[in-house]
Amino acid sequence: MALRSQTPDHIHPDDPTAEEVVRISCVRHTYEDGTSVHLCGLDFVAHRGKRVAVLGPNGAGKTTMLYHILGLLKPQEGAVSVFGVSPAEQWATIRRRVGVMLQNVDEQIISPTVGDDVAFSPRQYGLPETEVRERVNRVLKLLGIEELADRVPHNLSGGEKRKVALAGALVMDPELLVLDEPFEGLDPTSRQGLLDLLEHLSHERGMTVVLTTHDIDAVPEFADYAYVLAPGGTIALRGTPAEVFANAKVLADGNIKPPILAELFSRLRERDASAPEMALTIEDAAEALEGWKRRSLLPETPQ
Amino acid sequence: MSHIHIPDGVLPVWLWLGGWVVAAAIVWLASARSGGVDVRRKVPLVGVMAALMLVAMSSEIVPIAYHINLTVVAGVLLGPQLSIVAAFVVQVVLALLGHGGVTVIGLNTLMTASEMLFGWMLFRGLITVLGPRRVGLASGVATVVTLALATTMLVGLVAVSGVGAATVRETGALDPQNLTFAAPFSDSIFSVGLFSGGERSSSPAVPVRRFATIVYTLGPLGWLIEALVTAAVLSYIARVRPSLIFEGALTPARQALPGDEHGRH
Amino acid sequence: MDIAVVDRSAVSGNSTLHGAATGAKLIAFSLVLAAVVVSTNLFVVLTITIVLLAAVAALRLPARSMLPLAAYPAVFAAVFAFASAPDALAASLIIAKAVTAALASVTLMFTTPYPQVFAALQRVTPGLVGDTLLMTYRAIFILADKLGDLTRAVRLRSGLSTGHPVRAARATTRALGGLLLYSLDLAQREYDVLVLRGYSGRLRVALRPSRSRAADSAIIVVAFMLLCLAALWRIYWIRLISYSWILLAVALVGLGVALASRRRT
Repeated sequence: MALRSQTPDHIHPDDPTAEEVVRISCVRHTYEDGTSVHLCGLDFVAHRGKRVAVLGPNGAGKTTMLYHILGLLKPQEGAVSVFGVSPAEQWATIRRRVGVMLQNVDEQIISPTVGDDVAFSPRQYGLPETEVRERVNRVLKLLGIEELADRVPHNLSGGEKRKVALAGALVMDPELLVLDEPFEGLDPTSRQGLLDLLEHLSHERGMTVVLTTHDIDAVPEFADYAYVLAPGGTIALRGTPAEVFANAKVLADGNIKPPILAELFSRLRERDASAPEMALTIEDAAEALEGWKRRSLLPETPQ
Repeated sequence: MSHIHIPDGVLPVWLWLGGWVVAAAIVWLASARSGGVDVRRKVPLVGVMAALMLVAMSSEIVPIAYHINLTVVAGVLLGPQLSIVAAFVVQVVLALLGHGGVTVIGLNTLMTASEMLFGWMLFRGLITVLGPRRVGLASGVATVVTLALATTMLVGLVAVSGVGAATVRETGALDPQNLTFAAPFSDSIFSVGLFSGGERSSSPAVPVRRFATIVYTLGPLGWLIEALVTAAVLSYIARVRPSLIFEGALTPARQALPGDEHGRH
Repeated sequence: MDIAVVDRSAVSGNSTLHGAATGAKLIAFSLVLAAVVVSTNLFVVLTITIVLLAAVAALRLPARSMLPLAAYPAVFAAVFAFASAPDALAASLIIAKAVTAALASVTLMFTTPYPQVFAALQRVTPGLVGDTLLMTYRAIFILADKLGDLTRAVRLRSGLSTGHPVRAARATTRALGGLLLYSLDLAQREYDVLVLRGYSGRLRVALRPSRSRAADSAIIVVAFMLLCLAALWRIYWIRLISYSWILLAVALVGLGVALASRRRT
């Protein structure tokens, strides 16, 4: 694997034998108007059961990357592999194993009722009607939207539509879940609910989750790994959220504002060298600050 | 452009039935070869073009009872195989809207499809000769020639059918009112029973020669308008989304920037 | 016109037609369509129209959304009628036929979720054609919607009313190009989603159980009777033509009753 010198070389999985679900190597895609997205630099890899976040400024190619994973775009250069096959050529063989929620959920809800919409995929795959019903009920319950089953999707709120689309993506119990900006338009409770759900799915069911997001603050809570795309698609950075957010320069180049906690801790560091290491969750931060306070109250702490 | 506005039961059976058989055969062929992923990818394009032809037909440009049909635009964007499918779908929907008869779906499909095919071939040829920058000119010329050819086909059809031009209306031109809706039912094979009633034909069948004179003198105005519109629309597409025109209908889709990826990179 | 309005009515309505089996409705629809096609008597066509309207009224279907859609084909039927019909009666007949056929389609689509209809259609059409029909249906709504937006935008920016026909025409064609590309992207995304979620050219639906066999049969019988009337008046038109008003009168009484019962409850 070719790695850039300035980025630390992570032996990516903590378990080197973990199965690679997605790999993107140096894919180039040129659009009509001549703009080109070159997903290169580092390989993008998602392993089974891991949650991977893709960050980047507008226009960096995040959605392009997801479209390649979903086989909606065919690489003009480079290679994409999902479950070991090229999604653009053999989507039909892997699509049952992939759940998708794209950005514009309005366009994604295609059936006239919520129940029918969630049942769309299992019906297309020819499952018996009893099993379809059972799957639909199960997934609606999982998302806490059983009462929406007979509603017309058009009348739902933005957050509800997002849950319906997610239910449609989860109904086949996919091994890979691909989400484009899933936190957009969710209220804080729903957002937390989604974060918890994704954690549950990846831990309990070994589901691999790949998502793009602008919600930087969600990344430390959500992601096992994060990738940062620089403008033009270059995969500039990857690592655990802590590793990624420690790299202020690359983030600044990529026009990404680090999470507020990361920024807080680096400011503290600038002002006072004794400030604690970066902590990215509220819990860790509280602990670190408390420890720091205790240390500074004790005069001349030995060592 | 020139779909045939004939009520059912006007044309001789061998003609419309033959039209149905041939149309069904080519539609089936076009459809049967559609297993490939790349063809499937083009279904939204075919759907939009079919819908656009339908919508365009319902929007009058100027109050001279002329409506554009955009067959050449559709032909250029779709290529031969998909044109056939689009033509058929357009005619089916038109028939469902009571615009034209059910029996003539076959012939109308053949007319529309051949118009699209002519347009596509001519455009391709002219682009090769003139170079890819002259999209406007190429599409304008292709449209005029295509419509002239289509009109000739229509005249030929009238001659072959032997029912007289009174039943056939070329929609592209400002027609004189003697090309009427009323049908000389008594002349056709269906002169009995179910198909002989209703309208009285108020004007006698126009001889083929007179019909030809009328459409060839009045037609060019319609061809010109259609050519200007076609040239404008295709030039616009050539500027904004050239691959739709130049890469051929069946090359893999290179989509517009998806989602939030608008803007410069 | 938002497609969601159609969907909402199709799903959340609770009328007899909503509860009927899709198959029965499709058969009835074909019969009514055949009646419209066969008919050459304005009174007979109007009778069918009024029967449909009475059904809409009695079943409390959302007439306010349905009627404009059904009237839409009248625009292009009028263009055709204006240019080709020998007299006002024939012109009215052409328009009435278009509107009635459209009203039948609209009634079907407002009482049946679209996947049900297209699943049935796709069973009898070649793969690519059924696929395209579905996309065309969706695209018509996208286009009509966007065409409205665009003409508004064009009117605001360059002004169609300024009395510069050339400028207005140029703005219109540019709008047409923009409309085409926009619709294409939207249709492409819609289709992508279908494919991502397992669609491969054939919609599959769960059969909706019919609420009452009797209602199914009644719908078919009414439609069949309409076809019989239309055929009778077509064949024996000379003898029956002077009694045509009776049909219309009966239908009007029916409509009156439907409206009255609607007001009472």
